[in-house]
Amino acid sequence: MSVAVHGEVHGGGVADHIHPEPQTFVRKYIFSIDHKIIGIQYIITSFVFMGLGGLLAELIRVQLMHHSGALVNPDTYNELYSIHGSTMVWLVIIPLLTGGFGNFVFPLQIGARDVAFPWLNMVSFWIFPPAGLMLYSSFLMGAPVAGWTEYPPMSLQGAAGTSMWAAAIFLIGVSSTMTGINFLVTLLKMRAPGMTFTRMPLFCWAQFATAPLLMIATTALGAALAALFIERQFGVPFFDPTKGGSPVLWQHMFWFYSHPAVYIMILPAFGMISEILPTFARKPIFGYKMIAFSSVAIALLGFMVWAHHMFTSGLAPWLQLPFMILTFFIAIPTGIKIFSWLTTLWGGKIQFSTAMLFAVGFIATFTFGGITGVFLAAVPFDLHAHGTYFIVAHLHYVLVGGSLMAILGGVHFWYPKMSGRMMNETLGKWTFWLFFIGFNGTFIPMHWLGLLGMPRRVATYDPQFQTWNIVATAFSFVMTAALLLFFINALYSLRNGRKAGPNPWNARTLEWQIPSPPPYYNFKHVPAVFAAPYDFAEPLPYRGLEGELDPSVPAPVPAGH
Amino acid sequence: MALASSSYPVAGAQTHGEVDRLYAETRDLRLNGFLLFMVSDLVLFSSFIFAYLYLRNSGQGWPPPGINRLDVAFAAFNSVVLFGSGTTMHFALENWKHGHFMKYANWLIATIVLGVTFLGGQGYEYYTLMARLHHTWSGSGIFGASFFTLTGMHGLHVFAGVCFLTVLLMQSVMGKYTPQKYFGLTAGTLYWHFVDVIWVLLFSIFYLI
Amino acid sequence: MDIVRLERVVAVVGAIVVAAAALVALKNDWKTPGLENQVFKVMLGLLALGAVLALFAAIGVLGNFGGKA
Repeated sequence: MSVAVHGEVHGGGVADHIHPEPQTFVRKYIFSIDHKIIGIQYIITSFVFMGLGGLLAELIRVQLMHHSGALVNPDTYNELYSIHGSTMVWLVIIPLLTGGFGNFVFPLQIGARDVAFPWLNMVSFWIFPPAGLMLYSSFLMGAPVAGWTEYPPMSLQGAAGTSMWAAAIFLIGVSSTMTGINFLVTLLKMRAPGMTFTRMPLFCWAQFATAPLLMIATTALGAALAALFIERQFGVPFFDPTKGGSPVLWQHMFWFYSHPAVYIMILPAFGMISEILPTFARKPIFGYKMIAFSSVAIALLGFMVWAHHMFTSGLAPWLQLPFMILTFFIAIPTGIKIFSWLTTLWGGKIQFSTAMLFAVGFIATFTFGGITGVFLAAVPFDLHAHGTYFIVAHLHYVLVGGSLMAILGGVHFWYPKMSGRMMNETLGKWTFWLFFIGFNGTFIPMHWLGLLGMPRRVATYDPQFQTWNIVATAFSFVMTAALLLFFINALYSLRNGRKAGPNPWNARTLEWQIPSPPPYYNFKHVPAVFAAPYDFAEPLPYRGLEGELDPSVPAPVPAGH
Repeated sequence: MALASSSYPVAGAQTHGEVDRLYAETRDLRLNGFLLFMVSDLVLFSSFIFAYLYLRNSGQGWPPPGINRLDVAFAAFNSVVLFGSGTTMHFALENWKHGHFMKYANWLIATIVLGVTFLGGQGYEYYTLMARLHHTWSGSGIFGASFFTLTGMHGLHVFAGVCFLTVLLMQSVMGKYTPQKYFGLTAGTLYWHFVDVIWVLLFSIFYLI
Repeated sequence: MDIVRLERVVAVVGAIVVAAAALVALKNDWKTPGLENQVFKVMLGLLALGAVLALFAAIGVLGNFGGKA
């Protein structure tokens, strides 16, 4: 059968990428080379770090309950927010979206049996937890105090933990670079026969736009971190102005990575939303090609806008203008996506499952955060709002209200595929509403505080800001409660959830056409693909999947490895 | 078959029939992966080059006050050594593809010798700068930071390349590769060319402008 | 013949040989298919360029040629 299919369909696909069945517990669950297990390992590790980072966030909020600082001294406060930001960016959002969901979902969606370099994938993962522990070990020797951006000269004067921070983030960068290379080769070379680029699911397109960012931007960050490390440990002057270096150089090097990095943190989330919305609206995604190409456009533009973080750093005025205009341009592909999603919902037969609630909530909060982003791109407004809580509000709207919201939706969506069991929908809806209300209650007041001039990264503040800070802290506990409920639901459903079956949502991408959880070889026959997966009126556009759910069809055996 | 219609590139004297399907598939993946690794390594160098150009243009001219000019003549000599090793490596791979084992081995050994010569030359240059002129890594401001970091990073890459080529030589003597299956040699050649090309860039920005 | 002059002469001769060899190799390989050969071609071209630059540096046309060090 499969040979006949190959004969009919042109293009791509690697047929023999089957591993032998893992025999021992260690090979199966710990040092696994299976992309699905590695993806789940990433997800679990990242959620553990999210617990730690969330604890730090709550400590920050408790500190800010009183204008003179309710909990810790200013130096400790600096350590708290620096590690909170570093954790959430590098140990939570990026690994969840790329290493976690990327690893688990997209090889299944393109009909591959694994990523291109499974062993490298394992190495990428196993760099990550030790690097995270290194980051946290910096508390023992004096954690970094200059925020997640670690601007010199303050980062040059910080305690020894700053060097540890640089080393840890460097290692995470190496891991991300390897993941990016792995994903890009997989997407280029291992699509199933017939899966042309314009037949790929949109999550794959999102990963395809993200992988080069991981590969290129992260290496640029590696250079900056290496320079910082060398300067701190060996006194080689890159950034110290007293020795001829330039602190602004760090900002250029850092943001050349970190601006693309914000798209690393949002593009896969866009991809998740593009999968969840059509599935629960029972309607083809609107503007498939526009959504796909706008991801690539965002990724390209993302490399040309880094200096909009530096409008107050003494950038030449003739440079500020192009960076401002290019930043505005990013709103165009993003707007294309938002409108395409809204049009997908229009006239659909919408089922408000928990995943769908998170996806719709994502559209609302992300659009809000995106609009404040357009404000901040304007130089005159940025000069006013720079370094205030308006920035904090903006970045949390896009990273928590955007990325994290999509991740929570993605967990509810793909949990049945990963575990074979459904999550509890009642608990899930409680999670969503508590999270949505808690999140907005926490961060909306920060816009007002920022416009009034409350500076970020300071342990105390003027008494006039007291009221809204108490409100924000109170709502932050609601958000924490929602996340606790989410963890309880995920753990409880692992044993007690309803059996999911292969395709509980009636979704149409390839991962839903095989058993839940998928077997180690993914597909018995690599299927042939005839169309993009979103046309809900048509039969499934695949051939060669007949034996996947039939236990009497034997597992494929590796050929000649 | 899927393979017949895919765009598997065939090097030199090979034909599809001589290479088995499994090798062709994994080779294709590894080639793409290796090229992307080179791209990300290029970005690493580019970031430091950006830092160097930024610092160079932020100070009071170049070389900074109190720093001697670099020895262009010697650098040109040393560069020619490294560029020469690039062509010898090319001849080595060509001979391997055509099955001329002894010629291959000789060209590869010539490449390794030239690579080591380049490293020796760089060591001599460092000795002159550091021991005789007291221009050190951490003690001579942005000159030390940019020059020694970048050329040192390149030197480490050359050293890694020399090790890589030595391993390849031993592996090919022990019969790991055939004229049809030789991905390791392709990767070694790509890497060595990469190191050369980076040096074209570094040579231009440190010695010529 | 002092050491600097010797360096320059060796560099000039070597650069001509290397550039010629790289260009001949490039010409011979011009029509080879395959991804890695496309990369090889670009790199051989850059290698020839590098050799030419080194040539100009050695004869003192290009370069920051104070030569005090």
